[in-house]
Amino acid sequence: MGDDKKRQWALKLALLGDPAVGKTSLIDKYITDSFNENYQPTLGVNIVTKDIKLEEINSDIRLLLWDIAGQAKYELTRKMFFQGCSGALFVYDKTRYSTFENITSKWLEDFIKFGKPDGVYILVGNKLDLKDSIKVSSEEGKLLSQKINATEFIETSAKYGENVEMAFKKLVLHILKKSGVKFELD
Amino acid sequence: MIGDYKGTVKNKVVVALLQAYHDILDYDGMKSILREAEMMYIKDIRDENPNDSIDFFSFKKIISAQNCLLYDSSILLFEIGKKFSFYLFPFGIRFEEIIDEINASISTDWKVKIIENNENEIVVRVNKCIFCSEIGVPCDLFEGFLVHSLQKSLPSEHMVIYEIKKIDVNSPEHNNFVVKLRIKRNFK
Repeated sequence: MGDDKKRQWALKLALLGDPAVGKTSLIDKYITDSFNENYQPTLGVNIVTKDIKLEEINSDIRLLLWDIAGQAKYELTRKMFFQGCSGALFVYDKTRYSTFENITSKWLEDFIKFGKPDGVYILVGNKLDLKDSIKVSSEEGKLLSQKINATEFIETSAKYGENVEMAFKKLVLHILKKSGVKFELD
Repeated sequence: MIGDYKGTVKNKVVVALLQAYHDILDYDGMKSILREAEMMYIKDIRDENPNDSIDFFSFKKIISAQNCLLYDSSILLFEIGKKFSFYLFPFGIRFEEIIDEINASISTDWKVKIIENNENEIVVRVNKCIFCSEIGVPCDLFEGFLVHSLQKSLPSEHMVIYEIKKIDVNSPEHNNFVVKLRIKRNFK
Protein backbone atom coordinates (compact mmCIF):
# COMPACT_ATOMS: atom_id res chain seq x y z
CA MET A 1 0.00 0.00 0.00
CA GLY A 2 2.79 2.39 0.80
CA ASP A 3 0.55 5.02 2.43
CA ASP A 4 0.53 4.81 6.25
CA LYS A 5 -2.05 7.52 6.85
CA LYS A 6 -5.44 6.15 7.89
CA ARG A 7 -8.13 7.07 5.39
CA GLN A 8 -11.80 7.71 6.05
CA TRP A 9 -14.66 7.10 3.68
CA ALA A 10 -18.44 7.44 3.64
CA LEU A 11 -20.18 5.22 1.13
CA LYS A 12 -23.86 5.22 0.26
CA LEU A 13 -24.96 1.73 -0.75
CA ALA A 14 -28.39 0.61 -1.91
CA LEU A 15 -30.13 -2.73 -1.71
CA LEU A 16 -32.45 -3.14 -4.65
CA GLY A 17 -34.88 -5.80 -5.71
CA ASP A 18 -38.52 -6.85 -5.71
CA PRO A 19 -40.61 -6.89 -2.53
CA ALA A 20 -39.87 -9.75 -0.12
CA VAL A 21 -36.60 -10.90 -1.71
CA GLY A 22 -34.88 -10.36 1.63
CA LYS A 23 -33.23 -6.93 1.40
CA THR A 24 -34.15 -5.92 4.94
CA SER A 25 -33.21 -9.39 6.23
CA LEU A 26 -29.75 -9.12 4.66
CA ILE A 27 -29.20 -5.76 6.36
CA ASP A 28 -30.53 -7.02 9.71
CA LYS A 29 -28.22 -10.01 9.54
CA TYR A 30 -25.26 -7.84 8.63
CA ILE A 31 -25.89 -5.13 11.23
CA THR A 32 -27.38 -6.99 14.19
CA ASP A 33 -26.92 -10.67 13.32
CA SER A 34 -30.68 -11.16 13.62
CA PHE A 35 -33.39 -12.64 11.41
CA ASN A 36 -37.12 -12.00 11.60
CA GLU A 37 -39.38 -14.77 10.23
CA ASN A 38 -42.34 -12.38 9.83
CA TYR A 39 -42.29 -10.31 6.67
CA GLN A 40 -42.93 -6.60 7.13
CA PRO A 41 -42.61 -4.54 3.96
CA THR A 42 -40.32 -1.51 4.12
CA LEU A 43 -42.22 1.76 3.85
CA GLY A 44 -40.20 4.09 1.63
CA VAL A 45 -36.61 3.66 2.68
CA ASN A 46 -34.91 2.38 5.77
CA ILE A 47 -31.46 3.87 6.24
CA VAL A 48 -28.91 2.45 8.66
CA THR A 49 -25.25 3.13 9.25
CA LYS A 50 -22.43 0.75 9.98
CA ASP A 51 -18.86 1.72 10.70
CA ILE A 52 -16.27 -0.78 9.54
CA LYS A 53 -12.50 -0.96 9.57
CA LEU A 54 -10.64 -2.50 6.67
CA GLU A 55 -7.15 -3.20 7.95
CA GLU A 56 -5.99 -4.40 4.53
CA ILE A 57 -6.34 -0.90 3.16
CA ASN A 58 -5.86 0.98 6.44
CA SER A 59 -9.27 2.63 6.23
CA ASP A 60 -12.25 3.47 8.41
CA ILE A 61 -15.47 3.40 6.45
CA ARG A 62 -18.96 4.58 7.32
CA LEU A 63 -21.52 2.67 5.33
CA LEU A 64 -24.91 4.26 4.72
CA LEU A 65 -27.11 1.34 3.82
CA TRP A 66 -30.29 2.27 1.97
CA ASP A 67 -32.88 -0.46 2.12
CA ILE A 68 -35.22 0.75 -0.60
CA ALA A 69 -38.83 -0.45 -0.75
CA GLY A 70 -39.58 -2.68 -3.70
CA GLN A 71 -43.26 -1.82 -4.06
CA ALA A 72 -44.50 -0.20 -7.28
CA LYS A 73 -46.04 2.75 -5.40
CA TYR A 74 -42.55 4.10 -4.69
CA GLU A 75 -41.46 4.21 -8.33
CA LEU A 76 -41.48 8.01 -8.55
CA THR A 77 -39.69 8.82 -5.31
CA ARG A 78 -37.30 5.87 -5.56
CA LYS A 79 -35.35 7.54 -8.35
CA MET A 80 -34.34 10.32 -5.97
CA PHE A 81 -32.99 7.74 -3.52
CA PHE A 82 -30.32 6.62 -6.00
CA GLN A 83 -28.47 9.95 -6.04
CA GLY A 84 -24.96 9.55 -4.70
CA CYS A 85 -25.08 5.74 -4.51
CA SER A 86 -21.59 4.35 -4.92
CA GLY A 87 -22.78 0.80 -5.16
CA ALA A 88 -25.68 -1.59 -4.94
CA LEU A 89 -26.59 -5.14 -4.17
CA PHE A 90 -29.20 -6.32 -6.67
CA VAL A 91 -31.11 -8.94 -4.75
CA TYR A 92 -33.44 -11.61 -6.13
CA ASP A 93 -35.18 -14.51 -4.45
CA LYS A 94 -33.91 -17.86 -5.71
CA THR A 95 -37.38 -19.35 -5.20
CA ARG A 96 -39.26 -16.78 -7.33
CA TYR A 97 -38.24 -16.50 -10.99
CA SER A 98 -40.00 -13.17 -11.56
CA THR A 99 -37.73 -11.46 -9.02
CA PHE A 100 -34.74 -12.67 -11.07
CA GLU A 101 -36.21 -11.37 -14.34
CA ASN A 102 -36.97 -7.98 -12.80
CA ILE A 103 -33.29 -7.35 -12.03
CA THR A 104 -32.64 -6.36 -15.64
CA SER A 105 -36.07 -5.14 -16.65
CA LYS A 106 -36.53 -2.87 -13.66
CA TRP A 107 -33.79 -2.41 -11.07
CA LEU A 108 -30.62 -2.21 -13.13
CA GLU A 109 -32.06 0.32 -15.54
CA ASP A 110 -33.04 2.72 -12.77
CA PHE A 111 -29.74 2.40 -10.93
CA ILE A 112 -27.69 3.11 -14.06
CA LYS A 113 -29.91 6.04 -14.94
CA PHE A 114 -30.11 7.71 -11.53
CA GLY A 115 -27.10 6.45 -9.52
CA LYS A 116 -23.45 7.45 -9.89
CA PRO A 117 -22.18 6.78 -13.43
CA ASP A 118 -19.28 4.68 -12.09
CA GLY A 119 -21.47 2.82 -9.56
CA VAL A 120 -20.45 -0.74 -8.70
CA TYR A 121 -22.95 -3.55 -8.24
CA ILE A 122 -23.08 -7.16 -7.18
CA LEU A 123 -25.83 -9.64 -8.06
CA VAL A 124 -27.14 -11.50 -5.03
CA GLY A 125 -29.31 -14.61 -5.13
CA ASN A 126 -30.89 -14.82 -1.69
CA LYS A 127 -32.78 -17.59 0.19
CA LEU A 128 -30.13 -20.17 -0.57
CA ASP A 129 -31.41 -22.14 2.42
CA LEU A 130 -34.79 -22.92 0.79
CA LYS A 131 -33.21 -25.78 -1.17
CA ASP A 132 -36.45 -27.59 -2.06
CA SER A 133 -38.08 -24.53 -3.62
CA ILE A 134 -35.24 -23.17 -5.76
CA LYS A 135 -36.39 -21.93 -9.17
CA VAL A 136 -33.29 -19.99 -10.28
CA SER A 137 -30.15 -22.08 -10.67
CA SER A 138 -26.70 -20.86 -9.71
CA GLU A 139 -25.69 -21.16 -13.36
CA GLU A 140 -28.45 -18.76 -14.42
CA GLY A 141 -27.32 -16.33 -11.73
CA LYS A 142 -23.73 -16.45 -12.96
CA LEU A 143 -24.81 -15.89 -16.55
CA LEU A 144 -26.96 -12.92 -15.61
CA SER A 145 -24.17 -11.34 -13.56
CA GLN A 146 -21.89 -11.55 -16.62
CA LYS A 147 -24.59 -10.18 -18.89
CA ILE A 148 -25.23 -7.12 -16.69
CA ASN A 149 -21.54 -6.56 -15.91
CA ALA A 150 -21.95 -7.12 -12.20
CA THR A 151 -18.59 -7.25 -10.45
CA GLU A 152 -19.55 -10.44 -8.59
CA PHE A 153 -22.28 -13.00 -8.22
CA ILE A 154 -22.94 -14.18 -4.66
CA GLU A 155 -25.59 -16.50 -3.25
CA THR A 156 -26.71 -15.80 0.30
CA SER A 157 -28.93 -16.98 3.08
CA ALA A 158 -30.07 -14.05 5.20
CA LYS A 159 -31.60 -16.57 7.58
CA TYR A 160 -28.38 -18.38 8.39
CA GLY A 161 -25.94 -15.61 7.50
CA GLU A 162 -24.23 -17.52 4.71
CA ASN A 163 -22.09 -15.15 2.60
CA VAL A 164 -23.92 -12.09 3.94
CA GLU A 165 -20.92 -10.30 5.40
CA MET A 166 -18.86 -11.25 2.36
CA ALA A 167 -21.41 -9.66 -0.01
CA PHE A 168 -21.20 -6.29 1.74
CA LYS A 169 -17.43 -6.41 2.17
CA LYS A 170 -16.83 -7.32 -1.46
CA LEU A 171 -19.07 -4.49 -2.60
CA VAL A 172 -17.07 -2.02 -0.52
CA LEU A 173 -13.74 -3.36 -1.73
CA HIS A 174 -14.82 -3.21 -5.37
CA ILE A 175 -15.98 0.40 -4.93
CA LEU A 176 -12.69 1.43 -3.34
CA LYS A 177 -10.71 -0.41 -5.99
CA LYS A 178 -12.65 1.36 -8.72
CA SER A 179 -12.06 4.71 -7.07
CA GLY A 180 -8.30 4.17 -7.26
CA VAL A 181 -7.31 2.62 -3.92
CA LYS A 182 -4.48 0.18 -4.56
CA PHE A 183 -4.70 -3.29 -3.01
CA GLU A 184 -4.99 -6.91 -4.00
CA LEU A 185 -8.56 -8.18 -4.26
CA ASP A 186 -9.06 -11.92 -3.71
CA MET B 1 -21.93 16.98 18.14
CA ILE B 2 -19.55 19.69 19.27
CA GLY B 3 -20.70 23.24 19.86
CA ASP B 4 -22.95 25.53 21.78
CA TYR B 5 -26.59 24.64 21.22
CA LYS B 6 -28.60 27.17 23.17
CA GLY B 7 -32.11 28.09 22.16
CA THR B 8 -35.57 26.72 21.52
CA VAL B 9 -37.58 25.49 18.55
CA LYS B 10 -41.36 25.59 18.39
CA ASN B 11 -43.12 22.24 18.20
CA LYS B 12 -44.82 23.24 14.94
CA VAL B 13 -41.38 23.43 13.27
CA VAL B 14 -40.54 19.89 14.39
CA VAL B 15 -43.96 18.62 13.29
CA ALA B 16 -43.56 20.22 9.83
CA LEU B 17 -40.09 18.72 9.45
CA LEU B 18 -41.25 15.25 10.44
CA GLN B 19 -44.17 15.47 8.03
CA ALA B 20 -41.74 16.49 5.29
CA TYR B 21 -39.57 13.44 6.04
CA HIS B 22 -42.67 11.27 6.02
CA ASP B 23 -43.81 12.61 2.63
CA ILE B 24 -40.47 12.16 0.91
CA LEU B 25 -38.94 9.15 2.70
CA ASP B 26 -42.16 7.57 4.06
CA TYR B 27 -42.55 6.17 7.55
CA ASP B 28 -39.39 4.05 7.67
CA GLY B 29 -37.30 6.93 6.34
CA MET B 30 -38.61 9.27 9.03
CA LYS B 31 -37.99 6.61 11.66
CA SER B 32 -34.44 6.09 10.37
CA ILE B 33 -33.61 9.73 11.04
CA LEU B 34 -35.20 9.76 14.50
CA ARG B 35 -33.49 6.48 15.42
CA GLU B 36 -30.11 7.85 14.31
CA ALA B 37 -30.80 11.00 16.38
CA GLU B 38 -31.86 8.87 19.37
CA MET B 39 -35.07 10.91 19.36
CA MET B 40 -37.70 8.28 18.58
CA TYR B 41 -39.89 9.54 21.40
CA ILE B 42 -40.54 12.77 19.48
CA LYS B 43 -42.47 11.14 16.65
CA ASP B 44 -45.78 11.80 18.40
CA ILE B 45 -45.05 15.49 18.92
CA ARG B 46 -47.97 16.50 16.69
CA ASP B 47 -50.31 15.77 19.61
CA GLU B 48 -48.67 18.53 21.63
CA ASN B 49 -49.28 22.29 21.61
CA PRO B 50 -47.66 23.63 18.38
CA ASN B 51 -46.53 26.80 20.11
CA ASP B 52 -44.70 25.01 22.90
CA SER B 53 -41.01 24.45 22.29
CA ILE B 54 -38.28 21.86 22.45
CA ASP B 55 -34.69 22.74 23.27
CA PHE B 56 -32.48 23.58 20.32
CA PHE B 57 -29.99 20.81 21.17
CA SER B 58 -32.67 18.15 20.57
CA PHE B 59 -33.66 19.75 17.28
CA LYS B 60 -30.04 19.91 16.19
CA LYS B 61 -29.67 16.19 16.92
CA ILE B 62 -32.40 15.52 14.35
CA ILE B 63 -30.75 17.79 11.77
CA SER B 64 -27.34 16.17 12.33
CA ALA B 65 -28.85 12.70 11.91
CA GLN B 66 -30.59 13.86 8.75
CA ASN B 67 -27.34 15.26 7.33
CA CYS B 68 -25.50 12.05 8.19
CA LEU B 69 -28.04 9.68 6.62
CA LEU B 70 -28.83 11.90 3.64
CA TYR B 71 -25.19 12.46 2.79
CA ASP B 72 -24.81 13.15 -0.95
CA SER B 73 -28.60 13.28 -1.39
CA SER B 74 -29.09 16.92 -2.38
CA ILE B 75 -32.23 16.30 -4.45
CA LEU B 76 -33.98 14.64 -1.52
CA LEU B 77 -32.92 17.41 0.87
CA PHE B 78 -34.23 20.06 -1.53
CA GLU B 79 -37.57 18.24 -1.80
CA ILE B 80 -37.74 17.85 1.98
CA GLY B 81 -37.14 21.61 2.27
CA LYS B 82 -40.07 22.33 -0.05
CA LYS B 83 -42.37 20.07 1.93
CA PHE B 84 -41.12 21.60 5.18
CA SER B 85 -42.29 24.99 3.93
CA PHE B 86 -45.59 23.50 2.77
CA TYR B 87 -46.37 22.01 6.19
CA LEU B 88 -45.06 24.91 8.27
CA PHE B 89 -47.00 27.50 6.29
CA PRO B 90 -49.89 25.62 4.68
CA PHE B 91 -51.86 28.77 3.92
CA GLY B 92 -50.55 31.51 1.66
CA ILE B 93 -48.78 34.26 3.56
CA ARG B 94 -46.34 36.87 2.35
CA PHE B 95 -42.73 35.81 1.94
CA GLU B 96 -41.60 38.54 4.35
CA GLU B 97 -43.89 37.11 7.02
CA ILE B 98 -42.52 33.64 6.45
CA ILE B 99 -38.98 34.91 7.04
CA ASP B 100 -40.06 36.69 10.23
CA GLU B 101 -41.88 33.60 11.40
CA ILE B 102 -39.02 31.15 10.79
CA ASN B 103 -36.64 33.45 12.70
CA ALA B 104 -39.11 33.65 15.58
CA SER B 105 -39.89 29.91 15.60
CA ILE B 106 -36.26 28.80 15.72
CA SER B 107 -34.77 30.91 18.42
CA THR B 108 -31.00 30.43 18.48
CA ASP B 109 -27.82 31.99 17.13
CA TRP B 110 -28.81 32.26 13.46
CA LYS B 111 -30.45 34.83 11.22
CA VAL B 112 -32.38 34.82 7.97
CA LYS B 113 -32.72 38.27 6.42
CA ILE B 114 -34.11 39.71 3.21
CA ILE B 115 -31.44 42.08 1.93
CA GLU B 116 -33.00 43.01 -1.42
CA ASN B 117 -36.60 42.91 -2.44
CA ASN B 118 -38.03 44.12 -5.73
CA GLU B 119 -40.54 42.81 -8.24
CA ASN B 120 -37.91 40.81 -10.14
CA GLU B 121 -35.69 39.50 -7.40
CA ILE B 122 -35.46 38.76 -3.71
CA VAL B 123 -32.08 38.23 -2.11
CA VAL B 124 -31.89 36.42 1.21
CA ARG B 125 -28.88 36.24 3.47
CA VAL B 126 -28.61 33.34 5.89
CA ASN B 127 -26.14 33.63 8.74
CA LYS B 128 -25.11 30.52 10.69
CA CYS B 129 -27.68 28.36 8.96
CA ILE B 130 -28.67 25.65 11.41
CA PHE B 131 -29.64 23.20 8.69
CA CYS B 132 -26.13 22.77 7.31
CA SER B 133 -23.69 23.70 10.07
CA GLU B 134 -21.80 20.40 9.75
CA ILE B 135 -18.64 20.58 7.66
CA GLY B 136 -19.18 19.09 4.22
CA VAL B 137 -22.96 19.53 4.20
CA PRO B 138 -24.48 21.84 1.57
CA CYS B 139 -27.72 23.64 2.39
CA ASP B 140 -30.15 22.11 -0.05
CA LEU B 141 -32.89 21.77 2.54
CA PHE B 142 -33.12 25.44 3.41
CA GLU B 143 -32.80 26.46 -0.25
CA GLY B 144 -35.78 24.23 -1.02
CA PHE B 145 -37.62 25.85 1.86
CA LEU B 146 -36.92 29.38 0.57
CA VAL B 147 -37.80 28.58 -3.04
CA HIS B 148 -41.11 26.97 -2.17
CA SER B 149 -41.97 29.66 0.39
CA LEU B 150 -41.56 32.38 -2.22
CA GLN B 151 -43.23 30.36 -4.98
CA LYS B 152 -46.43 29.86 -3.05
CA SER B 153 -46.66 33.52 -2.10
CA LEU B 154 -46.69 34.53 -5.79
CA PRO B 155 -49.50 34.42 -8.36
CA SER B 156 -49.57 31.19 -10.35
CA GLU B 157 -48.07 32.64 -13.55
CA HIS B 158 -44.87 33.50 -11.66
CA MET B 159 -41.97 31.12 -11.35
CA VAL B 160 -39.00 31.25 -8.98
CA ILE B 161 -35.53 30.68 -10.37
CA TYR B 162 -32.90 30.46 -7.67
CA GLU B 163 -29.21 30.95 -7.63
CA ILE B 164 -26.72 30.25 -4.89
CA LYS B 165 -23.10 31.31 -5.06
CA LYS B 166 -20.92 28.20 -5.15
CA ILE B 167 -19.47 27.75 -1.69
CA ASP B 168 -16.80 25.47 -0.33
CA VAL B 169 -18.75 23.14 1.97
CA ASN B 170 -15.52 22.22 3.73
CA SER B 171 -15.04 25.79 4.95
CA PRO B 172 -16.21 26.40 8.53
CA GLU B 173 -17.97 29.50 7.15
CA HIS B 174 -20.04 27.60 4.60
CA ASN B 175 -23.28 28.04 6.53
CA ASN B 176 -23.21 31.79 5.89
CA PHE B 177 -24.58 32.29 2.40
CA VAL B 178 -26.77 34.34 0.11
CA VAL B 179 -29.61 32.98 -2.01
CA LYS B 180 -30.91 34.95 -5.00
CA LEU B 181 -34.50 34.21 -5.88
CA ARG B 182 -35.41 35.58 -9.29
CA ILE B 183 -39.05 35.90 -10.24
CA LYS B 184 -39.95 35.04 -13.81
CA ARG B 185 -43.36 35.75 -15.28
CA ASN B 186 -44.83 33.28 -17.74
CA PHE B 187 -47.19 35.26 -19.96
CA LYS B 188 -49.58 33.22 -22.01
